[in-house]
Amino acid sequence: MARIPLDYNLRSLFVRRSSTLLTLVGIGATVAVLAGVLSLQRGFAKLFESGGRTDVAVFLRPGATNEGDSLFRRGQADYLIKGLPEIACSDSGRPLASSEYYLALRLRKLDGGETNVPIRGVQPMSFEVHRDVFELLEGRLPVAGSDEVVVGRSLTTRIQGAGLGQVLTLNTTPFRVVGVFTSSGPFASEVWGDSERIADALERPFLNRVVARLVPGTDMAALAARLEDDKIAPVKALTERQYLTGQTEVLSGVLLALGSFLAVVMGTAAVFTGTNTMLSAISARSHEIGILLAIGFRPWPVFFAFMLEAALLGLLGGLFGVALVLPLDGIKTGTTNFQTFTEVAFAFQVTPDVLGTAIFFALVLGLLGGAWPAWRASRMRPVEALRLS
Amino acid sequence: MPWSLLPRHLLARPVRSLLTLGSLAIAVFLVCFLRGVVVALGAGVEAASDQRLVVQSAVSLFVNLPRSYQPKIKAVPGVRQVCKLQWFGGYYRDPSNFFAQFAVDELLLFDAYPELVLLDGDKTAFWGQKTACLIGRDLARDFGWKVGDTVPLVGGIFSRSGQNVWNFEVAGIYESRTANFDSRTMFFHYDYLADSLESGAATGPEGVGVYILKTERGSDPTRIMAAVDALFENGPQRVQTTTESEFQKQFVTMLGSIPTLLSAIGGGVLFAILLAALNTMLMAARERTRTLGILKALGFSDRSAFGLLLGESLVLCGLGGALGLLLFMALAPGFNQVLSQFNFPALVVGPQTFALALGIALSVGLIAGLAPAIRAARLEAIEALNAER
Repeated sequence: MARIPLDYNLRSLFVRRSSTLLTLVGIGATVAVLAGVLSLQRGFAKLFESGGRTDVAVFLRPGATNEGDSLFRRGQADYLIKGLPEIACSDSGRPLASSEYYLALRLRKLDGGETNVPIRGVQPMSFEVHRDVFELLEGRLPVAGSDEVVVGRSLTTRIQGAGLGQVLTLNTTPFRVVGVFTSSGPFASEVWGDSERIADALERPFLNRVVARLVPGTDMAALAARLEDDKIAPVKALTERQYLTGQTEVLSGVLLALGSFLAVVMGTAAVFTGTNTMLSAISARSHEIGILLAIGFRPWPVFFAFMLEAALLGLLGGLFGVALVLPLDGIKTGTTNFQTFTEVAFAFQVTPDVLGTAIFFALVLGLLGGAWPAWRASRMRPVEALRLS
Repeated sequence: MPWSLLPRHLLARPVRSLLTLGSLAIAVFLVCFLRGVVVALGAGVEAASDQRLVVQSAVSLFVNLPRSYQPKIKAVPGVRQVCKLQWFGGYYRDPSNFFAQFAVDELLLFDAYPELVLLDGDKTAFWGQKTACLIGRDLARDFGWKVGDTVPLVGGIFSRSGQNVWNFEVAGIYESRTANFDSRTMFFHYDYLADSLESGAATGPEGVGVYILKTERGSDPTRIMAAVDALFENGPQRVQTTTESEFQKQFVTMLGSIPTLLSAIGGGVLFAILLAALNTMLMAARERTRTLGILKALGFSDRSAFGLLLGESLVLCGLGGALGLLLFMALAPGFNQVLSQFNFPALVVGPQTFALALGIALSVGLIAGLAPAIRAARLEAIEALNAER
């Protein structure tokens, strides 16, 4: 079976360049929307997955789904930290665990308006527990028991009073900013300070969660089951990774659902236009098809030739759409995670798998749009095709 | 002018016309949907009452105000009524069955929110029993609860000793007549919560989340807000009094760039579909060259030729738009049912939706039809008849 040279299809696309271009841009826009939403979802997921460790445990009050809802009395937290053999110890023999205070604070932005900024009351040991994701960039750590805080780097340029050496007022108490830190995990845009001083300033005398490093090889599921059934003080225990995944489930799911919904709906429209373009390409070339068939090309090579053309159209459209999305990479955007009511800033992540998905999607759009017209072209009878026009 | 040619032209290539119609319908559907989401997000702000003010902590959304504030606020001139509103944050069986619950001053609720209308049950039954609650119509529908049922909720923020289950008796089912309050909320006695905390039967933050103020008719809200804020300027908890619409707006602001992104997606969709429609109309115009040549040779004016092509585009796009609108209206109730389970406000289908859909469809029709129509008007009969096609 003789094949129809690829050159024929390339030239055809070029001859009908205005129509080809319009289709390309149409498929490109569809692919760009899909890739845009996907890269947003990737950026959001990346923000949280990097911080989750499996050897760090998070303890919450039973029934609580996040640290904001959870609540511990100081005695309860100390009982937990001192009484668990699964908690690893530091070189000096003290448990690698700390209780944390957490609240979404209402702070003023530099460009006006308010936003919710998480404040985390910590203990000296907290810096040890979170040592892999916490890095001090400037200044020093807050002295325990003092009215001092360190802030995440992104806050220094966005929040009033959050610059190094400036003063943040919590309720009515002023706290001095003595350091700036960066974090690869979810702490990146938080304020950290002494937990007791912060609890006093905010007039909320309790703690929100306990975090601890576990002895290597600890069976988390067994530990969680045991603590849940504790008669004196039942506690909900989970790994940091499980905790963070749970915190982002809803928003991540919404983004993925939105992306899929848009992709399906817009994809249908793109298939319609793709079919239209291929149909008109074929009807304008009935004469040529007639000649091809008359000089002995079999229907199958004709079908393949047109499918190839359609695939090419989809591929080019996909490349165009990807080109549209690439500049978005790294652009920061922000929304609120309504599970924790805190602002999350994240960047579009145009990763290779997003690009791959987008181009594959474009290819499928092209093939779907080309299938019926190509089949029709291959089924033409040479005499009729020649007679047309 | 042979207007009968118009439908014939549309039917000459039924597949192409249908595909164009389909892609337009999808575009209009999608734009209506995205617009509906953006409008719904702001609906609470639009429908807010100007008779109501909200007093909240100036420190954080999650910090409660002391109960002692209530009489002090009530004494401010111009304040008619002060009602407690405390977020409960419980869930039914599983955290995914989330809905809003508020502990309120049961006797003041209907005064504070006259838009709540009872569909079933009665107020005195609600007032008479401490564990009684009111549930929204949508809750009754989704969970199958009736008046007289006991609803067990797991405390998210307020933990009840024992199994951490709070039981509420359904005393009435309400419906909200405005968009600022949904019909998926539960209200119960503030005293049930407060007494449980006081007696030690439950643990959790004490105090009141927000106070809802009803102002006297003709009073100056700005002055009242300033007077209330000044009362607690030096603690123990600073407050921030806002209008109800400002209060609602803070939640919309929290969405960050999400509404902008949705609008951008809508813009991308429109652009892609405009190109597709333009493509179709250019193809159509090319095929009409001969017909137009004949018409002109018969003496029909340039203007008629212009009208014929523009009309074709307008009819095609108008029909597509109408179809998209019908599709959206047919699917909106289904979407709302799904969205309401995520506590998302209902999509708005109103006169604006009609205007938007038809506006888009006809604009696309106009823009896509213009270039081919101008070409048709300028066509010389002799050239057109000579044209090879």
